[in-house]
Amino acid sequence: MSLMEVRNLEMTYSDEDVATPVLRGLTFKITKGEFVTIMGPSGSGKSTLLHILGLLERQSGGEYFFEDKQTGEYSEDEVARLRNKKLGFVFQSFNLLPRTTVLENVKLPLLYSGIKEEMWNSMARKAIDAVGLSHRLDFEPSQLSGGEKQRVAIARALVNNPEVIFADEPTGNLDSKSGEIVMEIIQKLHNEMGHTVILITHESYTAEYAERIIRLRDGLVESDTKVLNRRTGKLFQK
Amino acid sequence: MSLYHAIKISLAGLKTNKMRSALTILGIVIGVTAIIMVVSLGQGAKDLILGQIQGIGARTIGIIPGRQPKGPTDVLATLTASLKERDLVALGRKENVPHAADIMPIVFGSETAYYEGETYRPTIFGGTELMADIYDAYPERGRNITADDVRGSADVVVLGQTVVDKLSPDHDLFGERIKIKGRNFLVIGILPKKGGASFINFDEMALMPYTTAQNYIFGIKHFNRIAMRADSEANVSSTVEDVKTTLRELHGITDPDKDDFGVETQADALKTVGTILNTLTVFLAMVAAISLVVGGVGIMNIMLVSVTDRTREIGLRKALGATNKNILTQFLLEAIILTGVGGIVGILLGAGLSFAISLVISNVFGLAWNFTFPIGAAFLGIIISTIVGLIFGLYPARKAAAKSPIEALRYE
Repeated sequence: MSLMEVRNLEMTYSDEDVATPVLRGLTFKITKGEFVTIMGPSGSGKSTLLHILGLLERQSGGEYFFEDKQTGEYSEDEVARLRNKKLGFVFQSFNLLPRTTVLENVKLPLLYSGIKEEMWNSMARKAIDAVGLSHRLDFEPSQLSGGEKQRVAIARALVNNPEVIFADEPTGNLDSKSGEIVMEIIQKLHNEMGHTVILITHESYTAEYAERIIRLRDGLVESDTKVLNRRTGKLFQK
Repeated sequence: MSLYHAIKISLAGLKTNKMRSALTILGIVIGVTAIIMVVSLGQGAKDLILGQIQGIGARTIGIIPGRQPKGPTDVLATLTASLKERDLVALGRKENVPHAADIMPIVFGSETAYYEGETYRPTIFGGTELMADIYDAYPERGRNITADDVRGSADVVVLGQTVVDKLSPDHDLFGERIKIKGRNFLVIGILPKKGGASFINFDEMALMPYTTAQNYIFGIKHFNRIAMRADSEANVSSTVEDVKTTLRELHGITDPDKDDFGVETQADALKTVGTILNTLTVFLAMVAAISLVVGGVGIMNIMLVSVTDRTREIGLRKALGATNKNILTQFLLEAIILTGVGGIVGILLGAGLSFAISLVISNVFGLAWNFTFPIGAAFLGIIISTIVGLIFGLYPARKAAAKSPIEALRYE
């Protein structure tokens, strides 16, 4: 059973009289537990694809099934609930709340989750522990390094124990050493906790962690190949 | 998400922008402060003025000559010489007005007084020996006018402090003679200083027997007023009716609309003054309330800036699972909390300032001024400022909720 499936997915941005096609008919499936990297030159539509898969944006054409249900059938509130329960996001620019501690930042998704407040602290601490930042609980983002900020963002994406983690160029703003640490953490989450990971990158060292690479060009799938994870030697098997 | 968490989120949002939050509520604070001060000081002024009217005595009835105006457009209130000695005699009879305890004719007007080259124009107030008791105008030195003075049209005066100061800046006038209308008057008494805020200002008066004033000063046979006191407060209204019946009979009037006299009671005066002061207070409070609307526009302005400023935060919250309603609630609550806090601060500030002013008035000016905390206005202030927050916060909050998560996350 596929976790996500797109058929003939299209996205065209219309600005008054100019229509800009970004995605021009994509079809593929992603199975639960996969580690997929989406690559492609800038303007190829990778971010747009991630936003649609992450239910942050709705496609203009074609179909997108999440857990075998047409996403077009979901209401705004249901989409918000799905984002909260099933999807975790890590952005290139971290997007942490300023002047708010690490612990409070990680708790943010729990606020909208309906989970009892007594659980929040332990859940947030567990997620922070998973990214190795237990000693930074009371720090504010301005006191953290770039790598640490991204690890907080990963902890925040993790805290609700989502099905999929979307990472949009998570290492784009980091030096290669911090980037490696961040990627190792994502790798660990995938291996040990079984999260499906969908990663956008244009850096080859980041792509080395993937088990499947979808290459986009001009809004179309150029190639979709299963690869050997060059770090672990593990090939994803269905 | 529970309201408790929603409030917590909004409070955290406000706390990260303390300075902006404080500046935002300034308009509301000033507005509510103004309302509280207007109402509190208005109440204090009303209490003071009504207290002074009450000081004249609740049993006092005033009878004035002339047809009385029937409404604001009726300006033909003609002063006439309709009250004369025979009216006084008739009103004094027990069978006509059984509950009249005291009755005193009054004659007044201005006339120049002379003393050793100094001149002053006091109000000449002609009455009887009852004057001191009815108006609480007892001399602090010397004696009051007596019944004998009245009978004999004696050339005696009791002077107010201002009259004494003007005529003789360097020495006391007690026992001296002053000249009015070419006659020498013996100063038999000096009134204590009452201050300018008294309802009737005796400081600028020269009191004398009404007979003297009628015969030697004004040359008239009628009275400008007749003061009467009922034997008890309960009998004031029946006495008013008795007075009207007696005078109509005496003047041959059958239609009450053609009365050539008027009757005032202290209750009427209290009611009139009270109504004027209440209207004034409400009017001023409404002017102050306009500033709350201005404050609300200020809140909306800052909230709109804040929404644009926090576009990333809104997008992030949505990406993490906040619904449109969550975002709307957060920003609406921020506005309401701001205005609510502004309201509370305004009430405290307004009450504090009113209290300080009441201390100054009572200690520096020596007036019987009481501080009152206007509970109603405070309650209203909180409610109005919260409603202002709700109304002016709604538009920015809706704008925030309508942001698409992607647009918000892309925003730099």
